[in-house]
Amino acid sequence: MAVDKKFIGKKYGPMTYEIGWEKGKEYARAIKNEDPHYMDKEFAKSTKYGGVIIPPTFAVVYSGHLCMPFFMDPELKLDLMMLVHGEQAFEFFDVIRPGDVITTAGVISNIENKEKLDTVSLEGTSTNQHGKVVCKATYTFAIRKRA
Amino acid sequence: MAKNIKDIKVGDGYTAKEEVDKYRTIYYAGASGDFNPIHIDPEFGQMVGLGGVILHGLCTLGFAAKSITDWTGDPGALKKLKCRFAKPVHLGDVITTAAQVTAANGSRATLEIKVTNQDGVDVLTMVSAEVGE
Repeated sequence: MAVDKKFIGKKYGPMTYEIGWEKGKEYARAIKNEDPHYMDKEFAKSTKYGGVIIPPTFAVVYSGHLCMPFFMDPELKLDLMMLVHGEQAFEFFDVIRPGDVITTAGVISNIENKEKLDTVSLEGTSTNQHGKVVCKATYTFAIRKRA
Repeated sequence: MAKNIKDIKVGDGYTAKEEVDKYRTIYYAGASGDFNPIHIDPEFGQMVGLGGVILHGLCTLGFAAKSITDWTGDPGALKKLKCRFAKPVHLGDVITTAAQVTAANGSRATLEIKVTNQDGVDVLTMVSAEVGE
């Protein structure tokens, strides 16, 4: 069954995530990116950031938590067996540092009904503890229609 | 040293390579929290027709992001990044990221990026990024 376009604008969250340095380093190692901006406090002191920062694509962790209530939304009735992550987009507005408290609010920004699949986009806007928007992450899922 | 954004010109670019080692999906699952069995359970991957486990698409995109921030020398210079997940990436694959600057105005530059496997297949498509001050 097609995903109803009336759900465009439906909101999820907000959800809050506290950034830890060790977790940031673990993520950096997982994407094989041991950049000293992330890993080395001494090096990081000499940068314009004055301390270590977190890899930008760590956004998928702090904002990705929104996907769970979205997937499990009983109203939306997504066919999870037929769902794949189709597209991803990020906009970064500021760096993330250990100790930041990031709050992400989600909204269904688009739904398209195509012949063989539907696409549903979930946009998460993440704000830090100073009220500054740091990232917008858009997760677009494709849900193939069963024959 | 961080690259000066105003020195970036149309036609600039780079190529980077990353090998998907045998345990990459396990590391990425642990770090990201995405334990979908298609990424960590080879039997499940076989059963659903993927020929074993496949790498998280966001890990492939993470490799692309690394190539960009290595090139700029400043992770904070990455302002936009997007892609479509086109083909599965398997363990042992070698992923090449080839980027070229298609627009630059002194404060922002746009990169169009090809992300391919060792057979030349585009595993990500519609990949683009913006870097800036």
